Amino acid sequence: MANTVIGSSIVIDGEISGDEDLVIQGTVKGKISLKESLYVEGSGVVEADIETQNVEIAGRVTGNIVASDKVELKTDCRVVGDIKAPRILIADGASFKGNVDMDMKER
Amino acid sequence: MATAKELSASNNVDNTVVGPSILISGRLTGDEDLTVRGRVEGELTLSRTLIVEPSGVVKANVAVKNAIVSGVVVGNINATESVELTREGRMVGDIRAPRVIIVDGASFRGRVDMGDVEPGRLPAERPAVVRPAAVTRPTMTPARPTIPSARPTPPPPPSRPTPPPPPSRPTPPPAVTRPSAPVTRPGLGGLGSKPLPPPPPTRVERAEPADQAGSSEGPSPVLVGAGAKKKVVVKKKTR
Amino acid sequence: MATGETGIIGKGIVIKGNLTGGGDLVIEGRVEGQIALKNHLTIESTGKVQADIRAEELTINGEASGNIDASSRVAINASAKVAGDIKAPRVVIEDGAVFNGSIEMDVRLPDDI
Repeated sequence: MANTVIGSSIVIDGEISGDEDLVIQGTVKGKISLKESLYVEGSGVVEADIETQNVEIAGRVTGNIVASDKVELKTDCRVVGDIKAPRILIADGASFKGNVDMDMKER
Repeated sequence: MATAKELSASNNVDNTVVGPSILISGRLTGDEDLTVRGRVEGELTLSRTLIVEPSGVVKANVAVKNAIVSGVVVGNINATESVELTREGRMVGDIRAPRVIIVDGASFRGRVDMGDVEPGRLPAERPAVVRPAAVTRPTMTPARPTIPSARPTPPPPPSRPTPPPPPSRPTPPPAVTRPSAPVTRPGLGGLGSKPLPPPPPTRVERAEPADQAGSSEGPSPVLVGAGAKKKVVVKKKTR
Repeated sequence: MATGETGIIGKGIVIKGNLTGGGDLVIEGRVEGQIALKNHLTIESTGKVQADIRAEELTINGEASGNIDASSRVAINASAKVAGDIKAPRVVIEDGAVFNGSIEMDVRLPDDI
């Protein structure tokens, strides 16, 4: 198990940073900054600003997302916040409220 | 005393893992095991086991059931069951737990408070929150290391041919059938011969309430207790 | 460890006062006061010591209260009950032992702590 997994019963109130993939099944409040991919699974609840390369969201996210590569909102996710990324995918059934900005100069 | 080995062998299931490059600063609470290979700073409250692997660094005040430290901990650990510093463990801070194990090679500076436990009458006499015995739980990790208590209830004097029925012995959990054969020395890891030890003493949150629910205030600084010479203060990071 | 010279303070013996010496010592009885040994001190399970202890190495199976200063190692075994402050480069506490007090070893922490 190479990745970091925040299990479903875990609540983190603070900051998470790192250079590897992060899977969130629990609750994170605060701030997340990663150089790799973030996966917010169905049970995951994130109330945080997110800065990462890729994000895949199946759970709930409240906060602004800045991704250097891609943001993917999956079916049944609920996202409230602004998204800034060169590629943004929103699946059928996803619910999203916020602004989308795909005009990223870098990368 | 294979606690550390057992635990790390069975921990790969679906626990929370903090990978080697990850830094979490703030307050972390949870009801599952947590394995730290990276870094956690702030405050850490778990109702299960914290495993700090050799690459892991925890700079936090910790409240858990069990802690197994093979990496670095700076801060105080309050455990309702046990704390083990393994051969590679390094810790500065105070430990409060009924069972504390320090293995040769580990280094530690700080206070140890095991309360006034009498060896030999640990498991059942405490006001324990009765947890279902490990067998009855439909858990996917049967090897779940409720660290077997190495502390036996006092054995009957070995010289006696047939020990009297132990009237004073606390009633074992119903699921357990205690072997009636006289065991001369039931302790010393001889647990293998028994079907199951009585459920380990789980106590409700002793001291340090560390308001679990995670209010919105930032992590409190880690203050290493009186026994330790080094004082560590975590930068406060509020969101 | 020095060979040959192992003193034993037997079960029935009670010593009050200071105890100093060069050889190894095994305490099965009671000692109250102070102990300063150059070598290895063993407190057996029947032994009860209320003393500040200095020794090279200390093995405790019985009861000890007082401060301990060992130049090499302190082993608190499963049957031991110890209260006091310990200073030693190596300290081992077995599962089952009861210890209350502080421990001071050299802890080498990473630089960024």
